[in-house]
Amino acid sequence: MQTLRYRSIPLAVMASAMLFLAACGNSGGANNAGGEAANSNAPAANAGNSGASADPVTISFLHWRGEDNAAFEAIIGQFEEAHPGVQVEMQVLPSDQYQQTAQAKLRDGASGDVFASFPGAQFEAIAKGGLYSDLTGAAWLSNFAPALIEAGQKDGKQLAVPYQLVYNMPIYNVKLFEKYGLTPPKDWDGFLAAAEKLKQEGIVPIAFPGADIGPGQFMNTMVMNNAPDLDIFRKVEAGEAKVTEDWWIKTLTQIKELNDKGYFQQDALGTKDQGAGALFAQEKAAILATGSYQLAQNKKNNPALVQGLLAPITVPADQAVYEGIHTTTFLLGVNSASKHPEEAKAFIEFLSGKDVAGQYANATGQNVTVKDVVYASEELKAVAEWTNKKTRFQPRFTLTDTENQKAVVSSIQAVLGGTDPKKAAEDAQAIIDQQLGK
Amino acid sequence: MKAGKRIALFFVPGLTLYAALFLYPTITGFYYSLTNWDGISPSYDFVGLSNYRELTEHIIFRKALVNNVKFMLFVVLVQTGLSLLLALRLARNTKRNVALRALYFVPTVLSSVSVALIWTFVFDPTQGLANGFLSGIGLGSWTQNWLGDTGLAIFSVAAVQAWAHIGQMVILFVAGLQAIPKELIEAARLDGAGALQIFRRVTWPLLAPAAALVVSYTTIQSFKAFDLIFTMTGGGPVYSTEILSTFIYNTAFSSYTFGLASAGSVFFLALIAVITYVQFRVIRADRVAY
Repeated sequence: MQTLRYRSIPLAVMASAMLFLAACGNSGGANNAGGEAANSNAPAANAGNSGASADPVTISFLHWRGEDNAAFEAIIGQFEEAHPGVQVEMQVLPSDQYQQTAQAKLRDGASGDVFASFPGAQFEAIAKGGLYSDLTGAAWLSNFAPALIEAGQKDGKQLAVPYQLVYNMPIYNVKLFEKYGLTPPKDWDGFLAAAEKLKQEGIVPIAFPGADIGPGQFMNTMVMNNAPDLDIFRKVEAGEAKVTEDWWIKTLTQIKELNDKGYFQQDALGTKDQGAGALFAQEKAAILATGSYQLAQNKKNNPALVQGLLAPITVPADQAVYEGIHTTTFLLGVNSASKHPEEAKAFIEFLSGKDVAGQYANATGQNVTVKDVVYASEELKAVAEWTNKKTRFQPRFTLTDTENQKAVVSSIQAVLGGTDPKKAAEDAQAIIDQQLGK
Repeated sequence: MKAGKRIALFFVPGLTLYAALFLYPTITGFYYSLTNWDGISPSYDFVGLSNYRELTEHIIFRKALVNNVKFMLFVVLVQTGLSLLLALRLARNTKRNVALRALYFVPTVLSSVSVALIWTFVFDPTQGLANGFLSGIGLGSWTQNWLGDTGLAIFSVAAVQAWAHIGQMVILFVAGLQAIPKELIEAARLDGAGALQIFRRVTWPLLAPAAALVVSYTTIQSFKAFDLIFTMTGGGPVYSTEILSTFIYNTAFSSYTFGLASAGSVFFLALIAVITYVQFRVIRADRVAY
């Protein structure tokens, strides 16, 4: 027994040493900012039908869409069938943690050979950290609508491809509007009149999740025509424009007007996403101030709902430049520290096929950036119609500094809490100035 | 091996864990507080004390500090006061008291995220239990926008923090009360002291070690109340519930300024150390003698 114990000591030491060396081997990638170069010798053949003779390769797919698991599992099954020897392991983090934890997982290349990211601040941070492989020139990029993958470009390079197409504009209950003889208003006076009519009929005009996502979503449609300049928030971050100028004060004043006139539900600032969603699904509210990503969930909660998208036009009809807001998100990228970049690219290529993208869209209720996809549900078809309308990229995401984004969104919460729009804008500008002074 | 050396070996596991899980992160945190590391890039520059200078002028950091003090004072006063009152009622080991102590302890074993989610629903202004209950008993004018009012939100979360931990503090106070020799209370009573006098002159001074423990533990706990705030309000509305721990988290993981976040953490560490030291000095926990 004693002998066995002593013999086991060197074995344990050897095992520990091997584990340690293996760990060092993995972490070596962490310091390899230009990991792509090191991996450039990976056999391209592995990406395709390498056959059973090649060593099996497992790539990790890191994202936050837990609700899409079933759809992705089916697609992964098809991919593995088409690419023998390549397996995809899905790793899903909750969306609220994703922004914070994904980068740490990506750095050593052990997770997220293919990974999703949010546009704006997270995309910029990951690009700055050199964690995206360059996808420029890949033939399969032509499967996407060119204008819809711009959010994944930086310095002339295509670092990631947005996969989902979302319209960040309020959803309205079509039947309720018809019942009260209303149509989507074309100007601000029309919007106020429609809201007043709904209020008089005992319906909450706008369910507003002011405690979480509401202000960040609603600000986009509210500001799109007040400041038609696509670069307005970029200019704010560069110190060339200020949120204390008329365009933002007007936006805040109009949001305050909606609140003061009782067009939001009572205590909107304390209502979370689920609470506002419930008001809309129960048809107690006619408009839900979120975005198209909520359509499928609303339909699930109340299958009788007929929904459409509606953007408040904050100016006279003849001055309106934009009809709505779109965001291309779920940016798929290949980790520059990946040991299997070719297989990872092959997986994104597979996802970009119009049939696979259609399968994903119809299974999840999300529109996609891939061209010529056939949508099955009424909601997806209704949203797809917006591709022909004049929309602009979500202005909030053009604020690439999170502190600035938070300051701007907080100014909306402040006016809902009773602060004067001018004072709220000044407070936000003070934080932006502080960030500028860094 | 000499006995002394053999005994010293018993310190190794504890010291190793302490060094790995406390000393190393603390020193590393201080090191990064002197850099401009963004948490992602492989390289960074040394910036000296500029992160600390930036912190002193940082608008949100100042708000977080003020909010944290409000939160801490509310939690310390309410949690300590109520748990002391309950402990005085439940100190005797009767079946009923033991059952009640166990009942009050239940929220402590719940995950704080679960507690936060439950109370978020309770505080919902239109569909929540709190306003529903008040309206139901004819106190509709008392209904509040619990988490949406910038002046009230921090206290609503603080009340939840106190609710969740009062049971734990009751146990500490009961242990302290039961350690007080009965003869002292009886002697005071024979000398003609009333209930209040006995509490002021006998019970409270002898309860000082337990009180110091409760107050310092509650203080540290209220400074670290990250999960409740994160789940219930996310620091909003308008930064009204932003506290130091959420500020550090957001600065590191949302704004990608690890250097500044590390400086905030070092400040946080120093602040808690100072407050705990002052509390022990004020309560004079070390001067108890029978």
